[in-house]
Amino acid sequence: MKPESLLFAKTHEWVAVAEEGGQKIATVGLSKFAVEALTDLVFIELPKVGRQVAVGESFCEVESVKAVSDVYAPVAGEVIAANDKLADKLELLSNDPYGEGWVARIKITDETGLKSLMDHAAYQKQCAEESH
Amino acid sequence: MRNTRDTKLLFELSEAGRRAHRLPACDVPERTAKELLPASSLAAAPPALPELSEPQVVRHFANLSQLNMSVDTHFYPLGSCTMKYNPKRNERAARMPGIADVHPYQPESTLQGMLQLLYEMQEYLQEISGLPACSLQPAAGAHGELTALWVAAAYFRDRSEKRTKVLVPDSAHGTNPASASMAGFQTVTVKTLASGAVDMDDFRRLLDDEIAVFMITNPNTVGVFEPNMKAIADAVHARGGLVYLDGANMNAILGIARPGDFGADMQHYNPHKTFSGPHGGGGPGAGPICVAEKLAPYLPTPVVVKVKSLEPRVKSQKDGSTASPALDSPLLTLDYDRPKSIGRVRAFFGNVGVLVRAYCYIRTHGPDGLKRVSENAVLNANYLLSKVKHFLPVPQGDRCMHEFVATAGKLKSEKGVSAMDIAKRLLDYGFHAPTVYFPLSVKESIMIEPTETESKEMLDAFAETLFRVIGEDAELLHEAPHSTAISRPDDVRAARQPMLTYSSKE
Amino acid sequence: MAKVSVGRQTDISTNHASTSIPTSIQLNPTLRSALSTPNRTTMPYLYNTPEDQSAMLSAIGAKSIDELFAMVPAELRLGRALNLPPAMSELELAQHMDGLAIRNEHAGSKICFLGGGSYDHFVPSAVDELAGRGEFYTSYTPYQAEVSQGNLQVVFEYQSLIARLTGMDVSNASLYDGGSATAEAVLMAVSSTNRLGKVVLPTSLHPEYRQTIATYLKDIGVEVATVGTPTGVVKPQDLAAVVDDKTACVVVQQPNFFGCIEDAASLASIAHDAGALVVAAFDPISLGLLKRPGDWGADIAVAEGQSLGTPMQYGGPYLGILACREKLIRRMPGRIAGETVDRRGNRCFALTLQTREQHIRREKATSNVCTNQGLFALRATIYLALLGPQGLKETANLCLQKSRYAAEQLCKSDRFELAFTGPTFKEFVIRDKQNHVEEVIEKALEAGFLAGVPLGKWYPELKDCFLVAVTEKRTKTEIDRLATAL
Repeated sequence: MKPESLLFAKTHEWVAVAEEGGQKIATVGLSKFAVEALTDLVFIELPKVGRQVAVGESFCEVESVKAVSDVYAPVAGEVIAANDKLADKLELLSNDPYGEGWVARIKITDETGLKSLMDHAAYQKQCAEESH
Repeated sequence: MRNTRDTKLLFELSEAGRRAHRLPACDVPERTAKELLPASSLAAAPPALPELSEPQVVRHFANLSQLNMSVDTHFYPLGSCTMKYNPKRNERAARMPGIADVHPYQPESTLQGMLQLLYEMQEYLQEISGLPACSLQPAAGAHGELTALWVAAAYFRDRSEKRTKVLVPDSAHGTNPASASMAGFQTVTVKTLASGAVDMDDFRRLLDDEIAVFMITNPNTVGVFEPNMKAIADAVHARGGLVYLDGANMNAILGIARPGDFGADMQHYNPHKTFSGPHGGGGPGAGPICVAEKLAPYLPTPVVVKVKSLEPRVKSQKDGSTASPALDSPLLTLDYDRPKSIGRVRAFFGNVGVLVRAYCYIRTHGPDGLKRVSENAVLNANYLLSKVKHFLPVPQGDRCMHEFVATAGKLKSEKGVSAMDIAKRLLDYGFHAPTVYFPLSVKESIMIEPTETESKEMLDAFAETLFRVIGEDAELLHEAPHSTAISRPDDVRAARQPMLTYSSKE
Repeated sequence: MAKVSVGRQTDISTNHASTSIPTSIQLNPTLRSALSTPNRTTMPYLYNTPEDQSAMLSAIGAKSIDELFAMVPAELRLGRALNLPPAMSELELAQHMDGLAIRNEHAGSKICFLGGGSYDHFVPSAVDELAGRGEFYTSYTPYQAEVSQGNLQVVFEYQSLIARLTGMDVSNASLYDGGSATAEAVLMAVSSTNRLGKVVLPTSLHPEYRQTIATYLKDIGVEVATVGTPTGVVKPQDLAAVVDDKTACVVVQQPNFFGCIEDAASLASIAHDAGALVVAAFDPISLGLLKRPGDWGADIAVAEGQSLGTPMQYGGPYLGILACREKLIRRMPGRIAGETVDRRGNRCFALTLQTREQHIRREKATSNVCTNQGLFALRATIYLALLGPQGLKETANLCLQKSRYAAEQLCKSDRFELAFTGPTFKEFVIRDKQNHVEEVIEKALEAGFLAGVPLGKWYPELKDCFLVAVTEKRTKTEIDRLATAL
């Protein structure tokens, strides 16, 4: 996926929304900026499939050697898939953050959360500010 | 120089058929294990332990020991750890058979010397903290925190008060919030200012009737005595909450100020820091706690009390308080009859071996000596601060208690040299590194606690070396240390592909 | 490592509390009062002379030591001397400690048949000699791996030995003691199964471990369900009646508190069938003969490691052993060392998987445990290295043979019988048919024996019983004499 086509949360998660069988499904991952800032990731604790998440709820953790970072749900809904490949190939997060490095898929139950997400240009602006 | 032969892993040194320890022949009529035990419970063979000779074992561990820095061999200014000299007389006392070879379930009549020591220890700790009741049971500082929080939970339960939250400053040691969680409380973090003091606006905003305990470290982790201590304690008490003092930094205030007098309702001690127990490569410690009178009934069982005779047991007072009746020639006993007690926090009495060393330390110093310990700890820290501040900023200002926190933040942004680089390079010069990256509230923090058992010459030498290191080439520092057995382990690899046992890599 | 010249030997290290400042040092009175507390005696572990102090104060820009404490508000100061006994010289302290120690009996003054989780096993001399090296016992947590490779390698070797001893995949660097290690294992089981209903503890588990677990669970709302053991062991059907789909774990002690051998594998499969984990509390010495916890189905294995070269010292400090299956590793409390390579590619050891721990994860950590029992992990490592597989097996066998012999000798008296008939390892429970246990213990004491641990304190139904432990140290003569004395 091209980052330009994605939506981003303030907390550095990206979202791609697609229609599948009349349901809105969000694919969620971590932005390249976030992955680079975390450096040397060593472990990811993936969300359990079936878990209900609210917007802004921590539903996944990524660990570097000496830090743990929460991944927050950018949309509300049910986790319908988690990217098990990450467990063994954590480098997917950095090598292909917007493709094979996706983290989870969420069946959206409440679309209000989508409104507070930003587009790629706005997100890039945020990142530029944070780098200072 | 590293002896690489003898410091191979035990498993690599092993040769089938070697053995270091022979046992006497069996002097009672012997039957096979199969006759005595169910076949289903028996192993086919003993565990695959390495097979070594005694000289081999001795050389292995003697060589390994030489790969460590220690207080006996080096200056060890590890902030927040109080790495003071470990007196040898304390070791001798703790190793006497009448102390070391005492079984925890001996009859009390055979333990009167031990109980006397422990009873006195309870009293000394109460006097030093200004809190009238004591439990010696917790096994470490973090265990003491947890025990005190359980005591608080029991106290509020007894009063039918529902309080769910514990306030913890952001500069606190990680054990504080972790202990709060284990005791079933929710942690609420209070901000601290650059000076290290609690942000009073944030504190007032967060203080409410659901706060059970405010856990405060005072002197705090940057070595500053909390300027609003009294106001904080009064405000917490006015809301019905309790104040817990993390006693990690007691080395600064022995005989100078007492937690019970400045508003704490409970505190733990780290006898392995304040009272010179050797740190043992990471333990053992002990975590005795002292508490206010109203919390005494909830302390763990047993506590040591005085009684007129051991048989029959004198019942403690109905409310379970620890006050003991005045007696002419008292005997000492363990009081288990404490109905409101939280129970046990571990098996057996406590980390007695550590407490014995602390007892010897207190008896060696007496009241004036303990005060002098703190005075010199504070003098040494301020002296070092006065030197270091000229080349590494110390955000908290010109004064500290027993330790201070410098920052390499500017060095990092200007020269790319981090606190870690400095720490590693100091090792090359024969100094253990200060604590780095704690507290988290100061960027690129370097936390220095010289302790009172170092000389002015040592402090001068350390400051000079630190100054020299800061002026060194950045590349040299990034790759430091250069003279140690190993340099900069690959932590990422260790965590990504954990190899935690010898067998796991075969 | 580069050497730095340290300190000097001067007269300031005197031990005498009454010694005052040497008269040759002339200080003006104002400077004197600016310095340390009134009785300006030098203490044995301090370097600073009055000259040092005044030089340091002027470098700081302070007039007095008291000024350095300006940040402690005057109204919060103690303002008097602590009410503690006066200082002692080393000689006085040694005499004082002798005076206390002589009022204790100990395993050297009475023949010790006490057990219940702390044992009078033999400690080979090399354990004390090596663990007594200052480079080990005066060092701290290996935060700087480069100058802690000794400790880190010892921890790695300890973890490896414990894994082999228990048949588990991984071990941590140790916890406080057997009791708190068992409680931590129970918490691990609760969090990894996400079952907050209950944990099941048989009464054959050490009563103080059960009490400790109860304390750990009370404020997080997990129930403790107890299974009775009237025959000295857990009956599988009794366990099956209590374990359900809300059970996080079952704790099985093998050999159990009474010294009896449990049908551990059957108990483990009952727990597993219900989706619960099995926590095994084991006696390290017994594994010279008995199946390892990992071989009978344990998911987490815990133990009091005191038997492995640590003196009894009235109950602590000891060694909490905790090992587990690989899948539980991220729920494991406490430190862990791992093997890695350094910048130059050399094998080395470092603390790892630290994101589980309190200093990083704070309130979300697996446990609040901060330290390990490094010194006792070291002792256990040396002990196991000295014994090797054959030494461990022989030690276990001597315990088994001698305890069985002792049980038979004691039961020759009409007054005594075994409370439980099943097989035992190194401990057994004796019933006094006359129901005067305290009197028996007292009589034995007079004859020079610490004969056993009365059980009435924990088990009202066993108030006529006491627990006897027989280690490899007990001789036939000692056992015969005990039998005669009783």
